[in-house]
Amino acid sequence: MPEPKITVRNLSKTYRVPEREEGLMASIGSLWRRKYRDVEAVKNISFSIEAGEMVGFLGPNGAGKTTTLKMLAGLLYPTAGEVRVAGFVPWQRKPDYLRRISMVLGNKSQMLWDIPPRDSFRITAEIYRVPRIELNKTLDELFDLLDMQAILAKPVRNLSLGERMKCELVAALLYRPQVLFLDEPTLGLDISMQRRLRQFIAEYNQRTGAAVILTSHYMADVEALCPRVIMIHHGQLLYDGTLHLLANQFAPYKLLRVTINDDSQIDTLPLSGGVALVAHEESSWTLHVPQAEVPAFAAHILNTLPVLDIAIEDPAIETVIDTIYSEGIVGGVQ
Amino acid sequence: MYYIRILALFLRVSVQEEMAYRSNFFISLLQSLLDLSVGVLSIVVLFSQITIIHGWNFATTLALLGTYLMISAIRAIVIGPSFESLVGLDGEIWTGRFDFTLLRPVPVQFLASFRRWRVLPTIDLFLGIGVLVVATTKLTQALTLAHVLTFLIALLAGMFILYAILLVFASCVFWSPGFLFTWVFDGIFQMARYPLGLYPGWARLILTWLIPVGVMTTVPAQALTGDIPFITLAGTVIIAVVLVVGASVLFQTGLRRYASASS
Amino acid sequence: MNLRGGWALIKGTWMSWLQQRSFFFLLAFGWMIPPLIMLFIWYTAASTQAIDGLTQNDFVTYYLLFILVNQLTYSQTNWTVGDAIRNGDMNLILLRPIPPLFYTVASEVAGKVVYMTFVIPVVVVLALIFHPALHPSLYQILAFLLALMFAWLLRFFWGYWLALLAFWATQANALLGIQDALIFLLAGQVAPVALLPGPLGVLAQLLPFRYMISFPIEILLGHLNTSQILTGFAGQIGWLCTTLIIFTGIWRNGVRHYTAVGG
Repeated sequence: MPEPKITVRNLSKTYRVPEREEGLMASIGSLWRRKYRDVEAVKNISFSIEAGEMVGFLGPNGAGKTTTLKMLAGLLYPTAGEVRVAGFVPWQRKPDYLRRISMVLGNKSQMLWDIPPRDSFRITAEIYRVPRIELNKTLDELFDLLDMQAILAKPVRNLSLGERMKCELVAALLYRPQVLFLDEPTLGLDISMQRRLRQFIAEYNQRTGAAVILTSHYMADVEALCPRVIMIHHGQLLYDGTLHLLANQFAPYKLLRVTINDDSQIDTLPLSGGVALVAHEESSWTLHVPQAEVPAFAAHILNTLPVLDIAIEDPAIETVIDTIYSEGIVGGVQ
Repeated sequence: MYYIRILALFLRVSVQEEMAYRSNFFISLLQSLLDLSVGVLSIVVLFSQITIIHGWNFATTLALLGTYLMISAIRAIVIGPSFESLVGLDGEIWTGRFDFTLLRPVPVQFLASFRRWRVLPTIDLFLGIGVLVVATTKLTQALTLAHVLTFLIALLAGMFILYAILLVFASCVFWSPGFLFTWVFDGIFQMARYPLGLYPGWARLILTWLIPVGVMTTVPAQALTGDIPFITLAGTVIIAVVLVVGASVLFQTGLRRYASASS
Repeated sequence: MNLRGGWALIKGTWMSWLQQRSFFFLLAFGWMIPPLIMLFIWYTAASTQAIDGLTQNDFVTYYLLFILVNQLTYSQTNWTVGDAIRNGDMNLILLRPIPPLFYTVASEVAGKVVYMTFVIPVVVVLALIFHPALHPSLYQILAFLLALMFAWLLRFFWGYWLALLAFWATQANALLGIQDALIFLLAGQVAPVALLPGPLGVLAQLLPFRYMISFPIEILLGHLNTSQILTGFAGQIGWLCTTLIIFTGIWRNGVRHYTAVGG
């Protein structure tokens, strides 16, 4: 068994935030006595990721995903715990380590603003010691995959958000890192651009075997790209496994949509034991039914009511996740 | 070699970025000439009323102005723009792009100090040299090679002191991110326009030992226009080295703080 | 100090009251340094003998007053008005039923209050160190206050019409540089106006800059006799009227041009 690329053990990060109070006297008072408050951004997280895996970090804003990612990249020192990435300790920031990883930050750009992208790429290539021939080959591949030929001559400030994100990806990948950290990479992009980027990331992972860790709050990103999901909420690891099992574990129910042409009959619906009416639109009713009872309930409805149409669906992953965020940990962690 | 190649690339890209702004060359030239005129006229006005102050006369003070313009130009060509893009308004630390700098397999201090250049202030460098040359023609004492050599050594030390002080002011941002420390330095740096001898005693002490901006320009000017004791020259060089080392330590400490305290 | 982007950035991004305060304090600090440097230099120059009748104490009193009057009359219209024109906010202001003049005056007054909360304590501390002596008569104080008010009006409208040039040209900054240089040389900053040699002295008497800062101070310090004060007022009021005429003309034409071109 090859050693996992990334090992995280009992990782924690607490930082002190100065308390800011309202009002003039408080502002002046804060000049000589600062009050601090401890924020536990990451609490005792452990997991391991193999070479070439694609993992999504899921969690609401402020959950600790970006903090965890930054600790893996070596940008932050943890308060406690151990991390090994490709055999290195990230926050020692050894050049050999930094050459193997790459990070894309969704709302921040590393491109130089006033000049064409190629020039920014040249600097990055020089800093990461990428030989000229290899660089040109890699760039050609990336330009092709991302369909970027048209924008290469324009100064970056004239590019659209989507085009700029393509440049970010090229800048991040031109030295062929072994681990790619993506923090909200599709933020602000339109649907088709989001889809293109997802395709690209998936293909890149396939081709090069680079491990990809992605944080996003677009469910579509995680659903499309990540066979494995790590859910972080309030700094704690809630779940580590596949998305499908997540739904089953935390929200073992299905949605039944029934269309009936005779309203009067609806009172005869056996709403009990976990079955609840969720929505009602004209002649269509949506019911929330525990997974185990679905076959029996569906059969009952079909037999007793004048059903025009019936559909059985998995709950939307967003709703599942929303419930988890608002209700906290239900059941254990895998 | 690696670092030299990167430096050359930084210079090239900075020139490209500067060109993209199409900042009018003639307006810059006008501004430089204006600064020069005001500087020279100030000295003219001062010495129209008195011939000598603590050993400094019109010619020697003019020489100091030339030195000041040269050091100021060097600050505007390299170290200044780099630090501004790091800690200034809309700089890397303010916008969060500093994370990218931290991810590079290159020492952060190197990037912070040399990442950005501006070529236009070369005008000021030449104007400074011009003023210096004119001032030396008015000197009563003849200019020897020894003078020029000690001047160059003192000037180099002065530049290192400038770098160190700027580095300290820039590092302060790690402790207090919102405050524009480099602007404070801008104000204090103005004091280097005039010889230390023209300031009252206590001000002289502050400008020599606390924030050595005075040493930056006064010592080289003295080296060129008079004879400075070897101990002064040696002392200046030592101060320069100590300050650069100390400032670098401060910067590294600040970096560690940034990585522990931010989220 | 690049203030252009800074002003908007400050307003847009720095919400904390204290943080905004520190930005303005920094600005006030920056404006205070050049006269402070001249204070030190003339103080040292006059240490062995009086210069043109002025003793060390006279210079200290003069420059402390200068710092106060300079800050009180300083016009920030280029930043507020000029910026508004350049970034298009002026369109919104022109649409409002209140004349834009009121906005400008409001921000002037607000700015002054903040700057003075920094400058006054600093001047008090310096006064405690240097012990300036000031014994004006009631008549001088009244004349001073009148001249101060005119000085503020003059400097305000002068700066305002210059800022309005942004209606036509985006690169009006070169003029700013010239303006700053002229104020430095002729308004009493590099030296009290009476000390200016030949041609500079003549220019100072003819141009409006002396009336913006130096004139009120000259009254308060008793350097002028009654007829000189009266001629001074005549000059001040004359320049004020001229400035108002220029201002009105530029305003009318400027707005027409600006709205025609589409801002």
